[in-house]
Amino acid sequence: MKTRLALVLAIAALAAGLPFGAARSASFEGKTITIVVGFKAGGGYDRVARILARHIPKYLPGNPNVIVQNMPGGNSITAANHVYAVAKPDGLTIGTFNRNLVLAQLTKVRAVRFDQTKFAWVGSAASESTVLAIRSDLPYRTFDDLRKSGKTLIIGATGPGANTYDFPLLLKEFLGVDLKIVSGYSSSADIMLAIERKEVDARAGSYTSLRPFIDRKLVHPVIRARAIETGIEQLPVDEDLAPTPRAKAIMALRSAPEVIGRPYVMPPGTPDDIVNAMREAFDKAIKDPQLMAEAKKGKMELEFMPGGEVLKIVKVVLSQPKDVVDEFSKYVKFGE
Amino acid sequence: MIDALLEGLLLVLQWKAFAFMLLGIGVGFWVGLLPGLGGATTLALMLPFIYAMTPVEGFAFLLGMHSVVATTGDITSVLFGIPGEGTTAATILDGHAMAKKGEAGRALGAVLASSLVGALVGAAALALAIPVVRPLVLTFGSPELFMIAIVGIAFIASLSAQGGRGMLRGFLAGGVGLMVATVGQDPQAGIARYTFDSLYLWNGLDLVPVLIGIFAIPEIVDLIVRGTSIAGDLPRSRLNQGAIEGVKDTFRHFWLTIRCSLIGTFIGIMPGLGGAVAQWLAYGHAAQSARTAEERKGFGRGDVRGVLGPGAANNSKEGGSLIPTVAFGVPGSSSMAILLGGFFLLGLVPGPDMLTTHLAVTFSMVWTIVLANVITVIACFVLLNHLARVTAVRGHFLVPVILVLVFIGSYTTNNHYGDILLMLSFGAVGYLMVAGGWPRAPFVLGLVLGKIVENNLYISVARYDAAWLTRPVVLVLMALAVAAILYPLIQARRSGARSEKHA
Repeated sequence: MKTRLALVLAIAALAAGLPFGAARSASFEGKTITIVVGFKAGGGYDRVARILARHIPKYLPGNPNVIVQNMPGGNSITAANHVYAVAKPDGLTIGTFNRNLVLAQLTKVRAVRFDQTKFAWVGSAASESTVLAIRSDLPYRTFDDLRKSGKTLIIGATGPGANTYDFPLLLKEFLGVDLKIVSGYSSSADIMLAIERKEVDARAGSYTSLRPFIDRKLVHPVIRARAIETGIEQLPVDEDLAPTPRAKAIMALRSAPEVIGRPYVMPPGTPDDIVNAMREAFDKAIKDPQLMAEAKKGKMELEFMPGGEVLKIVKVVLSQPKDVVDEFSKYVKFGE
Repeated sequence: MIDALLEGLLLVLQWKAFAFMLLGIGVGFWVGLLPGLGGATTLALMLPFIYAMTPVEGFAFLLGMHSVVATTGDITSVLFGIPGEGTTAATILDGHAMAKKGEAGRALGAVLASSLVGALVGAAALALAIPVVRPLVLTFGSPELFMIAIVGIAFIASLSAQGGRGMLRGFLAGGVGLMVATVGQDPQAGIARYTFDSLYLWNGLDLVPVLIGIFAIPEIVDLIVRGTSIAGDLPRSRLNQGAIEGVKDTFRHFWLTIRCSLIGTFIGIMPGLGGAVAQWLAYGHAAQSARTAEERKGFGRGDVRGVLGPGAANNSKEGGSLIPTVAFGVPGSSSMAILLGGFFLLGLVPGPDMLTTHLAVTFSMVWTIVLANVITVIACFVLLNHLARVTAVRGHFLVPVILVLVFIGSYTTNNHYGDILLMLSFGAVGYLMVAGGWPRAPFVLGLVLGKIVENNLYISVARYDAAWLTRPVVLVLMALAVAAILYPLIQARRSGARSEKHA
């Protein structure tokens, strides 16, 4: 069995004209590895990629150059299609894209040309937890207060497909809180300002982006999704409050990508030894004290989840029964 | 307060901070000159370099770079008719027209002097606004932002062409601009609009390739057809002397420059409006200052006031957009959003603290903007007459160089061949508009404001139902929009009556 696998890999390697044979151990000496980012420079995905690009080389055999290339478009479907179909599986291309792409595949968005289960998964560099944070001058301390009050809470959101919209939508649909979602804000920062001027009462969003405002006591979080980060362990989780298994499944589907907050893949067919070397380098780089210090300064919390575990989650998401997927697509559309 | 002001200045003048600022200015100088490569992208690329810097050094570097981008971007706009930055496109209308009349030096002098005035006003506003910034920003909610956008379109549409027919064309062009802005995924239902199954169109049309196409391509065609230099066959002696004249123009129309600076600052302060809007509103205001229909006809054909307005506004907005960034942690433009990342890297938490405990750092930002602009403008004046001479180079030599800039500038937006196609398509649109006498300014403003109009209208109605129409600031802005439409009509009738009397 093992020899057959090696043979297949060797043939694949020959066919693709790869610089690495399956027998040799991977070395990147004198090479340049490109991290293709599915968004423009300056966003969260880009910042994480750039910090990794600075620290990964020292943990790869041969100390290669690692550079970042931005390939925005189609909410990063363009970049994922590129890494899937165009980039060579020679270990010199890594892709990072919208964590929700797995949902795009699940809900059969037409432009999707990739199969997430076939990527050579390096892993995820962070999990991104979603919370609902409400204005601190309102009389509700907890989610329960909110539910019992029976009052309408106005939620500011960017639009469907973003966690600012989808998370409160499911809360409203399944957990019996009266929320009025007002969408169209151009960024989460704009919603924060609307909160300051009391145009809206609350917003959902990643804990990372809300933290400065929580620290400032402008808002406080009352409920979170499954993905966890230090500081919000005590909050109730939406899925635990779900009244039916169906509701729970739908909430779980929405939050699954957040556990794989910063996905990193290599083209399908990348040789195992290269993928393993890369996983190891990611793991070590993310634990590197220098990187950790820099990430902390940039208010990024990085935590490595190896490719095997990521792939498991991806497979669970993509193997949902059709009726669940159909109901899920009623609420959640693919977006940022 | 005064102590902090002085302390801020001393912080910037420390040799290390000052050296970093000069480095930033050097980078920003080139980024501004090159079309396409924008200030926001460059800020993002430079962020990793500030890990090891102190807050003051970091900001001296980033802001030094950022505050000169708009200034040198104006130079490209004037000389070649290519927007050096998305925020300097309005300078083209009259700036490049002046260059074609052989007045490149004067236009550059005017744009640099007004940039400096704008930067100083913006910085002063940043310093002065510190105590009142919270109530000011919080007064303007979504309904008010919607109305500001409407006022902007009304201004430009009614002013950029003459007479009833011209105004109609202006509004039509603005409307088409608004429609083009709807390309992409809509934010309310997540539906893809006008994307024709193309992934490239999903995120909407990027401003830079559109601007480059619509302004630069007609100029390039014109240059090839004429077969002369940009300044035609005018005597060369004038090119070298105009700079001082341009500076004098700035002071001749000093109050206009100040008013346009204030417009820029105000737009900068309003988060969500974005830097590209300020220049157009300022241009509209400058055009409005024309007293007669005759004078108004000169706009778009090389009136120096059309250069001063946007020149001042696109620099003053920087000081303005720092205000919400510093005071709320809410960025006023895309560059500021990236700068916000810089705050965190440097260990500062934007918000009320910046106005109390870290006030000196905030003032050091004000000083960086002031110093960076003074240094850049002086440096530019030294080079100015050499720069102006470019307009005397024969078109055949110039066109290939410009074309390379145009293509690269568009392509850097997304690194996608779609950028090139987009630029060429809008080049064709731009050419047809010029040939048919349709004003381009309202179209571009419609495009810039499209998302703002749509989203804020939706939010206003969803949040307040019809009650948003009765908010006092909304009513004032509505009156302003109506006045913007009626004023030129009344003015035209009056001057028409007057000329009849003369006859």
